[in-house]
Amino acid sequence: MTDATDATPATPDATAVATLADPAYAALRRLRRTRQLHRLGNIEWFDAAYRVYLLGLFGGGSILWISSSVKDANVSAATADSIAAHAPAVLGLVAAMALLAGLRGGAQGGPIALEAADVVHVMLSPVDRRRALLRPAVQRARGAVFAGATTGAIVGQLAGRRLPGSLLAWASGGALYGGTVAAIWAGAALLAHTRRLPRWLATATGLAVFGWQAAAVAWHVPGPGTACGSLGLWGWRQHPVDLVPVAVALAAVVVGLTQLQRISLEALARRSALVAQLRFAVTMQDLRTVILLRRQLNQESTRRHPWRRLGPARSSTFTSGVWRRGWHGLLRFPLTRLVRLAAVAAGIGVLQAAAVRGTTPAVIGSALLGFLLGLEIYEPLSQEVDQPDYTDGLPVERGELMVRHLAAPTVALVPFAIVAATAAVLTMGSTDAIVPAAILALPTLLGGAAGGVYSIVRDAPDPFSSAKQEVFIPPEMAGFTTTLRLLLPIVVSALGTCSVLLMRSAVRNGGSLAGAALRGAIGSLLVAALVAYWTKVRDRVRIKVRAFMQEGRAQTSAKHARSGT
Amino acid sequence: MTIAFSTHRLGKDYGDRPALEPLDLEVPQGQHVALVGHNGSGKTTLLRMAAGLLDPSVGEARIVGHVSGSREARRALSWLSDTPTFYDDLSLWEHLEFVSRVHGVEAWEARAESLLATLHLTTRRDDIPTTFSRGLRQKAAIAIALIRPFQLLLVDEPFVGLDQPGKEALLQLLDDAAAGGATLVVATHELAFVGRVQRLLALRDGALVYDGSPADVDVHALVLPA
Repeated sequence: MTDATDATPATPDATAVATLADPAYAALRRLRRTRQLHRLGNIEWFDAAYRVYLLGLFGGGSILWISSSVKDANVSAATADSIAAHAPAVLGLVAAMALLAGLRGGAQGGPIALEAADVVHVMLSPVDRRRALLRPAVQRARGAVFAGATTGAIVGQLAGRRLPGSLLAWASGGALYGGTVAAIWAGAALLAHTRRLPRWLATATGLAVFGWQAAAVAWHVPGPGTACGSLGLWGWRQHPVDLVPVAVALAAVVVGLTQLQRISLEALARRSALVAQLRFAVTMQDLRTVILLRRQLNQESTRRHPWRRLGPARSSTFTSGVWRRGWHGLLRFPLTRLVRLAAVAAGIGVLQAAAVRGTTPAVIGSALLGFLLGLEIYEPLSQEVDQPDYTDGLPVERGELMVRHLAAPTVALVPFAIVAATAAVLTMGSTDAIVPAAILALPTLLGGAAGGVYSIVRDAPDPFSSAKQEVFIPPEMAGFTTTLRLLLPIVVSALGTCSVLLMRSAVRNGGSLAGAALRGAIGSLLVAALVAYWTKVRDRVRIKVRAFMQEGRAQTSAKHARSGT
Repeated sequence: MTIAFSTHRLGKDYGDRPALEPLDLEVPQGQHVALVGHNGSGKTTLLRMAAGLLDPSVGEARIVGHVSGSREARRALSWLSDTPTFYDDLSLWEHLEFVSRVHGVEAWEARAESLLATLHLTTRRDDIPTTFSRGLRQKAAIAIALIRPFQLLLVDEPFVGLDQPGKEALLQLLDDAAAGGATLVVATHELAFVGRVQRLLALRDGALVYDGSPADVDVHALVLPA
């Protein structure tokens, strides 16, 4: 039995209050140390060493392979001059992107992500918040700078193989540039968060700087990021003025760290919960969850009021119901998602045009964008997949339902196809490209998005689960299976978008552009149609295969029983 | 009269949707208040803003005269959420130790043992609370919220998931806290609890629709949405 007096909470007295600050922080430090020891104690050291070995083997091997594939011959003097003139502005564009990302991330609660329990038990305690947040903030900034510097060093030594200067100097210059870009990101995020910059202002500021830098790239005017970009060439030549962005970035980080007590707990709490889930989803390669969590992190919610309300249904058929459900969802897409879809479509147009002009790897880029477009635009299908209980409760085959979900988003792709076609024509810079772009745009978007559809449908919960089979996949095969699983949707998107290479062939051989575009369009549509057909019959085929295998196993068992083995 | 909790034009909106209309409120030290309202009426929003977990869109909340979220306010306020949060590598006992120490309480063991006994958690003290059932998690959160000193206790839906002995234990602990001079603000759908408080606040669609004695009003009518 509890003593009532014992259970009564004490009211803090003045003496306790006056001496509270240091014990609180000391308790926090003790907790962190204890938890670190717990974590270290839980590490399987052999497993960790094996992972480091694998990372070293594959990561180092990949870098060496890429490095060796770069020709060692120095570029011509003219090319070197061109690089010296244009590279700083182009590299400055990366710095401007880092600033944009940092400002937006900070306005949305970044860059720190505490544990949810820390938000409640530490941030609501009378501990000095700046001191409590300093360590996670420094760790975040330090991690970003290290990652940036490492990436910069790798890219720098690749550049150094063909440009004047030693490899070491290029690697060092690259590291300085990469680290500075990361510091710009971290500093911008810290300042945006601690100064409570509104999201619109953060985005507008970031876009203004990015636009200015893009103008510097296009028209060779001075840009805000050009000095930072110039750091990337320090392996070749050094301008002391380039150190200004380094100082500014570091100052931004330091000022941000001194303002940590101004951090918004609301943003921190929201971000903490989402980031923890996001990390788990990435670990599990759960793409759908990653997308949903990214949207939540960006506070991107569907519109309360649709862009346009649908009139009364003219038909009460099943197909009409699914069609209307699709439009109900699509008409609630927020403006940010529509802008993002338009940007992705424009990117596909630009990359397709680049492929026609001779840059073959651009096809891979357009396939990746097509895949992302598919994941976004076929949201009604994803929503259906997210709610398997509803789907299973419907008196129709799942495949029949899913294939009908493709109709409304496919129609919704038309305006984005116009954006893609316009971007392609502008990139080609010729009116001759108008007809082929008009023919090819929608089929290419559909072909590219087919990879997204494949990914959505494949990740749907499997009522005929093969979980038992997956358990018995040997570890040597598990990695290969995982990689294949990751790449297959991209391969489908690549098949759907590579038809643009027919156009390039026509350009090179002087063939009919419209004819090549038509053939390409048929190819892309074929890929999209195959994926749609697979969506419809997938479950049926799986049932048949499963029944066939069970029958085979039953016969084998019966045979063994008869033979007495 | 010392004011334990006050709001001045405190309001919150999420985009175009107001969650809480600007609200003026004063709760004197030692008062026992129930906050009722239908789902989405703004109870949790009000409490979370008071705790400093949500940024107000307008106005401010003060805890014993200090702006909500400030160090002094955090020192005086204990927050018991409807969604308990724990470290996944600390036992319940270690949680109690940490929260006590971070609030400057040195001799915490006796109080912790007493709380665990009241909540029937003594046998689970060395278990990890993230592995507990919903009801046990709620009990663990209650223990953690009450282990530290406070002048104002904000509680959001404390009865959810609790069995009958758990509810009785919580009521006893709340009574003990009130007897110790603490101010209690409890948001709840448990209308039976309302009869135990001195003051009733009712929210409807983000607006305060009743502020007075629970004896003078039909509480069931107050919690209906408009």
